[in-house]
Amino acid sequence: MIRINSNITFKMTGFRKLLMLFSGIFFVLVFYRFAVGLSITNLSDAWPWGLWTVIDVKLGIALAAGGFTTAGIYYVLGIKKIESVVKPAILTAWLGYCMVALGLLVDLGRWYGFWHPIVSWGHHSVMFELYMCVLLYTIVLTAEFAPIFFDGIGFKRTAKFFVGLTGFLVIAGIVLSTMHQSSLGSMYVLMAGRLDQLWWTMALPILYFSSAVAVGPAVVTCESALSGKTYNHEWDNEAMPFLAKWSGYVLSFYFVVRIIDLIVRGQLGRLFTTFDAQTFMCLLELIIGSVLPLFFFWSYNMSGKFMDKKMAVRNAIFIILGVVLNRTNVVITGMWKSAGTGYFPSTQEILITVGLTSFGILVYLFISENFGVFTPHGAEDEDVSVRSGVGASGVPTT
Amino acid sequence: MSKAVLVDVTKCYGCGACTVACKLWNGKEYDDAKKPTVGEKAQLTDINWTVVSKHKVTDASGKTVWRFAKKQCLHCEEPACASSCLVGALRKTEEGPVVYYPDLCVGCRYCMIACPFGIPKYEWDKSFPEVSKCQMCSSRLAKNEAPACVSVCPNGVMKFGDSEQILKEARATIASDKRYIKHIYGEKEAGGTAWMYISDQPFEKLGFKTAVKNQSLPEYTWKIINKIPAALVVWGGILTGVYMITNRRNAVKSSKNNENKGGKS
Amino acid sequence: MEKSNGKTGAVSRRTFLKGVTGAGLTGAAAALTGCKSTGKPAGGTGWTPQQYNVPENWPVQVRGRVPIDPENPSIVRDDKKCILCGQCIEACNKVQSVQGYYELPIKDDITCVNCGQCSLWCPTAAISERDDVDKVITALKDKNLHVIVQTAPATRVAVGEEFGLPPGSIIEGKMVAALKKMGFHGVFDTNFTADLTIMEEGTELVTRVKNALAGGHGGGEGGHHAPMALPQFTSCSPGWVKFCEYFYPDLLEHMSTCKSPQQMLGALAKTYYAKKKGIDPAKIVSVSIMPCTAKKFEAARPEMNSAGIKNGNAKMIDVDYALTTRELAKMMKIFRIDLTTLKDQHYDNIMGEGTGAAVIFGTTGGVMEAAIRSGYFLLTGQNPPELLFNLEPVRGLQGVKKASLNVPGVGELRVAISHGLGNARVLLDQLREDKKNHREPRFHFIEFMSCPGGCIGGGGQPRTALPPSDAVRQARLDSLYTMDAKMYKKRLSHENKEVQQIYTEFLGKPNSELAHQLLHTKYTDRGSQLTAKKKA
Repeated sequence: MIRINSNITFKMTGFRKLLMLFSGIFFVLVFYRFAVGLSITNLSDAWPWGLWTVIDVKLGIALAAGGFTTAGIYYVLGIKKIESVVKPAILTAWLGYCMVALGLLVDLGRWYGFWHPIVSWGHHSVMFELYMCVLLYTIVLTAEFAPIFFDGIGFKRTAKFFVGLTGFLVIAGIVLSTMHQSSLGSMYVLMAGRLDQLWWTMALPILYFSSAVAVGPAVVTCESALSGKTYNHEWDNEAMPFLAKWSGYVLSFYFVVRIIDLIVRGQLGRLFTTFDAQTFMCLLELIIGSVLPLFFFWSYNMSGKFMDKKMAVRNAIFIILGVVLNRTNVVITGMWKSAGTGYFPSTQEILITVGLTSFGILVYLFISENFGVFTPHGAEDEDVSVRSGVGASGVPTT
Repeated sequence: MSKAVLVDVTKCYGCGACTVACKLWNGKEYDDAKKPTVGEKAQLTDINWTVVSKHKVTDASGKTVWRFAKKQCLHCEEPACASSCLVGALRKTEEGPVVYYPDLCVGCRYCMIACPFGIPKYEWDKSFPEVSKCQMCSSRLAKNEAPACVSVCPNGVMKFGDSEQILKEARATIASDKRYIKHIYGEKEAGGTAWMYISDQPFEKLGFKTAVKNQSLPEYTWKIINKIPAALVVWGGILTGVYMITNRRNAVKSSKNNENKGGKS
Repeated sequence: MEKSNGKTGAVSRRTFLKGVTGAGLTGAAAALTGCKSTGKPAGGTGWTPQQYNVPENWPVQVRGRVPIDPENPSIVRDDKKCILCGQCIEACNKVQSVQGYYELPIKDDITCVNCGQCSLWCPTAAISERDDVDKVITALKDKNLHVIVQTAPATRVAVGEEFGLPPGSIIEGKMVAALKKMGFHGVFDTNFTADLTIMEEGTELVTRVKNALAGGHGGGEGGHHAPMALPQFTSCSPGWVKFCEYFYPDLLEHMSTCKSPQQMLGALAKTYYAKKKGIDPAKIVSVSIMPCTAKKFEAARPEMNSAGIKNGNAKMIDVDYALTTRELAKMMKIFRIDLTTLKDQHYDNIMGEGTGAAVIFGTTGGVMEAAIRSGYFLLTGQNPPELLFNLEPVRGLQGVKKASLNVPGVGELRVAISHGLGNARVLLDQLREDKKNHREPRFHFIEFMSCPGGCIGGGGQPRTALPPSDAVRQARLDSLYTMDAKMYKKRLSHENKEVQQIYTEFLGKPNSELAHQLLHTKYTDRGSQLTAKKKA
């Protein structure tokens, strides 16, 4: 147990020590990488993007989609029963984006120029759109997360101020997320002729966005199950089935679009007539990520069975794996042929990714244990809203 | 006036003067062992902006002939790399070259993935790396001089001039001489490039990427990007509307907490 | 949205949002007005030679460089040193008439006669011979090997230049001493096989001439189906031989079947010498010191393994390493041998004797003069008159030289000499023309040398001021004639004791069966490797 003061503590376990070790390695390696450049990676002219792009950026952003989806469901659609997951989801998203930003910084060859897009606009570029959205959305998420933080450290008034912004923030967050989640897909539209036809389609932005909307709640589900184990929360029998259903419907939409797209472009047949690494990975992705979870979802749904924890978590895992496979396939498998050579990440690359993730988990644990993320807060939320109106004039501008 | 270069593969005897000119003019290092500039192993790399790759081609009569293909950035009319760059570090100039400004670059390497020809390379072993590719000697062009590689060619393999004129010449050459393949590589590839090639041997046997689409690639993305502003407004509007409706409904339920969640309109 | 949101809510929030909006707009404005300057574009920090820095497509005097195949056995180029001055093209095109004399596209070969003139002209030594010094040193260090060396005539009047001596300094004895100091087990003289060449080639010429006199088309003496065409071409210059194979394959029947002196000595070293000394030919490493880069190519020609075939191992080649004069100088320096301080030594016997006729092989016209001296003897049975010991018309640096002399019993013998391959074309085109029109041959014997001045101006010789000057060539050439006239005891190849000895003990007689096996060769029609230009 580490005790910073009477309020802020951090419990030590073997697992956490391991995470700390990885985080330590991460920071050392990052400094080393900044000093010597990208030569520590196995990236090459044939493979300018690799593990970091897949995990730190593409997956990081996709898996952090829980933030805007739950916020949207809760605030915009007004589905109040998922309340218990909103705060953890926003925390996860905020942390996710911070880690993405950090990961991106490590990945950038000229990292010290990370601010250039702000003053030199490449407005034709999907990457520019992505950069701007991620930047703004990280700010939005920070603001969304701010009440929890300021509440935690006792700055009630500041917290109130940010609560007052919630409506704007949530809508801005959804719009920005829509743009950049789909942009992650649009990014590969430019690779016409290079990216394998199994993945290249003009529908990439739609597919990316819909899969993100499906996977966001799935991540929240898994997270809730995990944190429930750690902190002895009860499984929320209202929120979780709703999220499972949400994911199920959105995934159904995704799958239909995906299959129709494959049929229209005459690629579906190839999946069953040729066997190579590409078709194998594509089938794997479709079966694990879509067919299995959809089968379970619809068989539960049609028979009117109650979606229990086991089913919800299992489906969530399938969906997450599906997105992992999909993003990996687009960045790696689908580019394999046009790259001409193979790629496998170097030890340093893997350690940096593992370290970054470990660090993220540590921060998550620290915050969730000290800032009341999981406290049931139905009443408190209203409470805060009330006070925010009163105290708004007294908010110190920082 | 946009400039172009026509490369006649049949005239090259593989001396590699162009590669030396490129290194001299651009101050690039040599690494003959790992990154040769001429021969069967020649590859564009961070230090090789242009190479002459050797290909042993079996021609129609079953005879093996040697052909040398001078490779460099093709300087697309609508470059995917420039369209992909989030800071505008790659720009298509009026004279034709696609020019790289390292001071702007953040090093995301999207251009490398985006280029249908796989041209941009990276200085992987440098702490402050740059994307590396042929600039078509933009500073020479500004003085109305031909690119260095074109200037030094002993056989006149490369012809430099106004793009329309060059294309006309290319067409005339392949039409008048039956040895040539009836295809001008670069006329339509990726929507057209400033460097064009004619050859008596099939281009795929000379290491050219023949799977490249004839359409300009930035058009694909542009079809999506140009919808963003509209989508932004519509999507934002819908969300705001739904949000307001939801809020009203809540307000009915508890009448006292609606003032800070006012909508926009 | 920011603005609209700012309308509602409390004052402080409005202020905050104003600030945010203001900052955003400022940022945008800054961006649009180019707050971040683009900086300089990449590249363009270097230079190119002056002739290339002109607007538009103006003609320039010289562009680019010659192509060199990385597999070229003779010459290599270091791109780092190349400045695209174009001098190699000047040498290859204007002097040797190779570059620019074939049509593009090329076929499956980079046309090169391996003469190495480009390496002499190259101002930065970007082009140089393929360096085999290390291999020779390795062989010398191997106690199991018997390393022998031969030195070409032209090397002994040139290698001194690499040690600061004036052009043409005669350092034959010191060179021999240096080679012995370096540990070569046998130091032989290519002059020995030059004399032997005269015997073989002279005999061949006599056969051809007699055949022509008999008006016949009959086979040669001894039953070999030797070509009988006149004129006969000399075959000692491998650059010239390859040139003829490329551009005039139709005239190859004129080429003497004799190997060059280098190859003759190589073949004899692993047969005659090995047998006499009782050495296993497989353990002999045969090195040659040549003024020539084409000799590396010649030594590597697949058919140059007569000794190997005779010894039952086709992979054994006659000459293992051919070093240039420059490489020899470099090697001496590696061994820290100051050539100038050494005491003169003699070549080793049974392949070390040479005559004045042999030493002038190193200059243009030398082979001709030597051949005439002994040819006269072979035709008439008498030694030539004094006049033929100083045959002025075949001497000197004029590109094409012609002479005729009366040989008793034969009549007028007409000869021609050219050096520098550009000059060769004059005689070759003329001959082609004559043959087409069924005219009598203008000459009986033509000497062709690849390099200007002959071997003394060879591509492997010490580099001189640019371009390689006739003054230097003249100095080297004069020295060879001095050696012929004043220093060598004998001036007639057939008087060479060791040559006489080898015929009695080993070969039998000139153009014998064994001589054909070891000392003669065949040529390759390389006409299909390029498309020679009809008229350049």
